[in-house]
Amino acid sequence: MTFKSALDIDCGIRYMFETLDIMSPCGRKMLLESQMMTTKRELDFHYRRLNEIYDKDCTQIANKLMCLKDIQTTISRLESGTVLDDIEFFEIKYLSIVSGEVKQLLEQQRIIAVGLPELKDVVDILDPDRLNIPSFYVYDSYSDELREIRKQMRAIQGNGEDLPDEKRAELAVLLQKNADLELEVRRDLSGRVQVYASDLALALRNLSILDILIAKAAQMKKMGLCFPVVVEDGETFYNGMFNPAVKAHVAEAGREFIPVDIAFEREPVTIIGANMGGKSVVLKSLALNQLLTQFGFGVAAHDCCVNLVEEISLCIGDEQSIVKGVSSFAGEIMAIDAVIKGIRGGKSILALIDEPARTTNPVEGTALVEGLLDVVGEVKGGFVLTTHYNILNDNVKRYRVRGLVDGVMDYTLQRTYCGEVPHEAIAIAESLGIDAQWIECTKKNLNN
Amino acid sequence: MPFINEILKYDSLSIVGLEKNVGKTECLNYILYRLPLHKMKVAVTSIGIDGENKDQVTSTKKPEIFLREGMYFSTAEAHYKERRLVSELVEITDERSSLGRIVTAKVSVGGKALISGPSSGVSLRRWVAGVKKFGTDLTIIDGAISRLSSASPAISKAMVLSTGAAFSSNINTLVQKTRFVVEMIGLPKLEDESRDALCDIESGVWGVDFEGNIIDFKLTSALALSSLKTDITAGMKLIYTVGALTDKLLNLVADSKNVKDVTLVVKDFTKIFVGEQAYRVFCSRGGKIKVLQKSKLVAVCVNPTAPNGYVLDSDILCEKLQEAIGLPVYDIVKNNYDI
Repeated sequence: MTFKSALDIDCGIRYMFETLDIMSPCGRKMLLESQMMTTKRELDFHYRRLNEIYDKDCTQIANKLMCLKDIQTTISRLESGTVLDDIEFFEIKYLSIVSGEVKQLLEQQRIIAVGLPELKDVVDILDPDRLNIPSFYVYDSYSDELREIRKQMRAIQGNGEDLPDEKRAELAVLLQKNADLELEVRRDLSGRVQVYASDLALALRNLSILDILIAKAAQMKKMGLCFPVVVEDGETFYNGMFNPAVKAHVAEAGREFIPVDIAFEREPVTIIGANMGGKSVVLKSLALNQLLTQFGFGVAAHDCCVNLVEEISLCIGDEQSIVKGVSSFAGEIMAIDAVIKGIRGGKSILALIDEPARTTNPVEGTALVEGLLDVVGEVKGGFVLTTHYNILNDNVKRYRVRGLVDGVMDYTLQRTYCGEVPHEAIAIAESLGIDAQWIECTKKNLNN
Repeated sequence: MPFINEILKYDSLSIVGLEKNVGKTECLNYILYRLPLHKMKVAVTSIGIDGENKDQVTSTKKPEIFLREGMYFSTAEAHYKERRLVSELVEITDERSSLGRIVTAKVSVGGKALISGPSSGVSLRRWVAGVKKFGTDLTIIDGAISRLSSASPAISKAMVLSTGAAFSSNINTLVQKTRFVVEMIGLPKLEDESRDALCDIESGVWGVDFEGNIIDFKLTSALALSSLKTDITAGMKLIYTVGALTDKLLNLVADSKNVKDVTLVVKDFTKIFVGEQAYRVFCSRGGKIKVLQKSKLVAVCVNPTAPNGYVLDSDILCEKLQEAIGLPVYDIVKNNYDI
């Protein structure tokens, strides 16, 4: 899965991307095209680098990276032996200068997370007058003949006065000669710079990586994210897990987001609890943090340990598709079916399912959920579902949202050992200030 | 030729033609040729394609833009590659046009080039700010037909207006139409305590009452006026429309009994899209329009030749126009002026 496709998972990952301050377009492109990491080896390597950047002040480097342009096409053309034009030489020279400046800053700060190749020779080739400014043209110093021709052009041209025909013709010849000579110089320069093509590509790549790392580190500090401990085939746990998108939204409304603790391994997990108790938010946060980990971001928790998976499946119950002619029930059941097939096929999947079978009658619904838990058994990547049904299976780990305490919602999760769901729906409905008569009738019916 | 000296007092200039083929490019060349480059740095761009040999629409011969040594210019990548001069590339900007990225270069051997720079108001403003880092003293924007937005004082402080037979082949109509534009450019600047507050508003139609309170009429633009149930002019000293001023709002004020007491305010003259007839009626009833920002009209240049070959009498045209607008008018092609 690429990061770009992960953005479609409705768990708050897009918010993380939008608040990530990547300076350069090529950094952004690289992140979007990056594949989800699935091994401990590559993730440990990545987080070691991120850790190093996290400890340093990289403001100056970030400012330099703002000027970074994506010149991948130009480098490919150079590599294939094309004669570059002025604009392309400018890009190459510019990249070499920026890379040199960043290299120097990295050395000053003793940062080894990202290495940059030495491109001083490229700058020297493209800066014959040693002006050390990011500009380019076929300089007079490349060819005496060129210098002479330009001198003649200047003499005829003046300030753009009307010229007699013979002067005009003379000028046209000079212009052509100038163009021919420039081409010759550019051909020579292209050959000389070509040998550095792979170094230039490496510089562009590593500068993009650096840009992403700096942005991720800054985001960690801004949002209070943590470095995850990464395991393969082990327990996943989060202490103080939160969801930055929801947290920001809640803060806007003047309220505080309550972090939750949760842990699971191979046994399926059920979360029960009141409506509006934040069960779906827990599922979304689990999906989000799994993605954040496996794409090498800071994780939204106080501390955590994350078991790596190959796939993340978040079924939030909006699979209804009028276009496909599928009802909400059918859409949901088919999505869950796909998860079961994936698990059976031996894939390591983190499956997060919000209130399965909620749209059908409670008798069959309960049976369907119980059946689902039986059939999946142990799941390599983790299996978490929320429900309002009384689920009586033995082989599950149960959490319950603490719920209404003295009329105030407590969103924290606590372990529970029975399948009986809490009865708080009426109290919550009441707190929403709905029709009193309706509440009264409901209570009467319940007591009968 | 005095108006070059006048231009030097400003750091940004736009050249605007009231129609295609009114001699705008000649006017630009005229100015570029005479600027004292030994003591100043100049940057040039255009919001359309400029400097082409032939007119893209009418196929008439057009003068090309000549850029002198030391000048900076910004143009699209594709046009940069076709330049017929020697220049040093100094920047690839983040602006894009249909012809590629906009690049900026410094001329090292003078010559001709096609210029097609940023075209939206926002990107032009960024361009003006961007070329400042090269130490330019004057930025010149070549505006395209009926794209007055480049002449907005938010982008350039001074302007030169180009008009001519292509705009109208009847001297009287030409004079009348040009006079109206010049009149709009010359509208007085608002001097009121609320001016700063009005400048910060970004959209909608607003009023200022006689106590100085600023009132939002909750209209997204002057186009939404038909939804009004009350008379917005009642008790108002000023009515400010951030977007376009159209005949609709103008007529609404002209028809109200408070027309004499209320002043219509617009951002600058480029936001005025009212017909002359409606404006005259409005004025005759005692209506007033003021602007928040004002451009300095430096000169008016005329081209008496229309693309269809029709030629007006240059002297009569200049004289009549000069009399009507009270500003010097120049026929640059005919009179080879000196500074």
